[in-house]
Amino acid sequence: MNKIINEIKIALEPLKIETPALRQIAVVVKPDAIHNSLAYFRQKGFTQLSIVTCIDWIKESELELVYIVLSWTEGIYIQLRARIDREKPVMVTATDIFPGARYYEREVHEFFGVDFLGNEDAAKPLFLELWDDIPPLRKDFDPQAYSDSKFPMRERGNEFVSEFGGNK
Amino acid sequence: MVLDKKDDRNVWEKIGDYFSANSIWMKWYCTGCGAIEMPPTMTSRFDMERLGMGPMATPRQADVLLITGYLSTKTLRRVIYSYEQMNSPRFIVAFGSCTINGGIYYDSYATIGRLDKYLPVDLYISGCMPRPETIMNGFSGLIEMIKKGEAKGWKHYQENYEWYKKNQLDSLGKIIIEDEFHE
Amino acid sequence: MKEVKLFLGPQHPGMHGNYSVHMYVDGDIIEKARPTPGFLHRGFEKLMERRHWMGNLALIPRICVPEPDINEFVYAQGIEMLAGIEVPEKAHWIRMLVLEMARVMVHLMSLGFIGGPTGMYTATYWAIAQRDLILDLFEELCGARVYHMYIVPGGVRKDLPEGFTDRVLAMMDELEVKIPEYEELILKHPIIHARTKDNIMLPAEVVWELGVTGIGMRSATGEENDLRKVMPYAKYDQVEFEVPTATYSDALTRLNLKVREMYQCISIIRQVIDKMPSEGPVNVPVSTGNALRWTVPAGMVYSAVESSRGEYGYFIVSDGKEMPYRIAVRGASFPQGLLGIEKYLKGHRIDDASLWMDTMGVCSPEIDR
Repeated sequence: MNKIINEIKIALEPLKIETPALRQIAVVVKPDAIHNSLAYFRQKGFTQLSIVTCIDWIKESELELVYIVLSWTEGIYIQLRARIDREKPVMVTATDIFPGARYYEREVHEFFGVDFLGNEDAAKPLFLELWDDIPPLRKDFDPQAYSDSKFPMRERGNEFVSEFGGNK
Repeated sequence: MVLDKKDDRNVWEKIGDYFSANSIWMKWYCTGCGAIEMPPTMTSRFDMERLGMGPMATPRQADVLLITGYLSTKTLRRVIYSYEQMNSPRFIVAFGSCTINGGIYYDSYATIGRLDKYLPVDLYISGCMPRPETIMNGFSGLIEMIKKGEAKGWKHYQENYEWYKKNQLDSLGKIIIEDEFHE
Repeated sequence: MKEVKLFLGPQHPGMHGNYSVHMYVDGDIIEKARPTPGFLHRGFEKLMERRHWMGNLALIPRICVPEPDINEFVYAQGIEMLAGIEVPEKAHWIRMLVLEMARVMVHLMSLGFIGGPTGMYTATYWAIAQRDLILDLFEELCGARVYHMYIVPGGVRKDLPEGFTDRVLAMMDELEVKIPEYEELILKHPIIHARTKDNIMLPAEVVWELGVTGIGMRSATGEENDLRKVMPYAKYDQVEFEVPTATYSDALTRLNLKVREMYQCISIIRQVIDKMPSEGPVNVPVSTGNALRWTVPAGMVYSAVESSRGEYGYFIVSDGKEMPYRIAVRGASFPQGLLGIEKYLKGHRIDDASLWMDTMGVCSPEIDR
């Protein structure tokens, strides 16, 4: 595994590289280096894209995109991370390297509001229907307030006990 | 919940209810996570068909709609749509604690809190999720209710149609979706 | 030719769970198909951020409804990676036993649900009743039939009951007699042959394009790409088993692989019961004092397991507080349920859509979460 870490340092020049667990390598790069890094990993034998997801760091006003790739021959996971701006989040699509990224990017667009250039399906709704609020997985969205305003709950009262003279 | 237990049926309705209580067709729709206990109830270990209930594929010929668990807003629109396609007399049985008060997803932005503001419920079966023996117990209770004429949810829906519709539109916005194919 | 818009909708006897495929058809042949998930969406990733680390244990099994034990295992493994907890030896063997029993149950269920797409409901009646007898064993172990909440961070909740391993071995003997009967009913039946042989084939080069794992990948490429062999977790490197593969992937081969995997599961369970130490602690206390004030050190880790449908994983982000900062779920049936239906069903018949979902392994709650 050290051999792979050294090769990544020479080829990609990442901002940070560390091993959070056995058989996992975390690589942090700048956002415009994501496309080249994915092409580099694909060519090195990491042929499977496991997930594309996003984390909302609201205090630093940034979104962090995470791509996780796996190599079946070596048995190593790589987490590729990059931070983008939170007010106008934009990223180049990865579907020309990994075609399976299409629906992951559509989901990240729906739940976080990230625009993917080159993926023309990304703006169509997938899981939510007639959604009228901010993207739900951002940290400033309160699901309990939304749920109480739209879906009323049963009031705790004595609807049926009063005929037996119970407590009010 | 429909509470009045007055029996105001005429003779023909009583005869019809006696026959329909002994042959109930259940609409085949797995709406939530409680549906994992429906196949064991229907198949050979806890056989439901000896009570007289069997599955039916289309809502036009079914009697009972089972809401197995929670309902997300997307499913609720289709459930209302197919409940209104069923012929009366039609009954609704609600499983699980998510239909009573939101259950374990009480603070979720996508599930409803209380089912009987949108559709009239005749019988609640509690549990998370209910065992097959509990489900069979509930169904025998439903058969008794139909014979005595207490399952009057469909009449309540017809008489208070505006109240139910107002609740549905307040929570959902629109019920029939036109642009489903996203082209 | 005029095209007709058709809903293979959420309410359909041949559909697996609450899922819908919208298609444009010409006669009986599909021209375009669009998957429509979202009917079972509960917003889990948001709900998990609002409960404590221990409180999430009640919510987690409900993400993948037919096979809930993989959720608990992946969550516990992720927390143990972040906090550096060592699980005692007996707990590893008990976790393997539970995972393999769950895998047998899910394969039985998916063999049984071949009744929906093909119309042969005898398979459903037999296989679901057989699965119910294994659910009885789970009820004896942890008190609940479907949602177990048995694997916790630090080990398992309690030790095995008295005489449990004898009953498991008796069940394995019974399964070895019954599985050849199911095989003869399902795999050698002329109707199922006519529907599945040389139908919905998956060529090897499409596999990496879709990102499919599990039985779909192993039946098309012929390589043993199984996480239990490539990155062994929880003592899988100390039992001997084979991973069945094939190079010609049609629907009948994938059903055949499921039956062969069931035989391997029975062999693994026998070896686990043989090698398990009979005494020892089964869990390690993880929080000193109040479990609701327990914090996990900061970090980001991805923990994955090989489920019956493919690679299933959680990406856990912690910032050192009492509640998780972000948990992202990678459902195992995401590639074949979404991109597979869009790219791959053109030119097949309408009834093949449901057969694709059954043989490749699509479970709708884990796509929607």
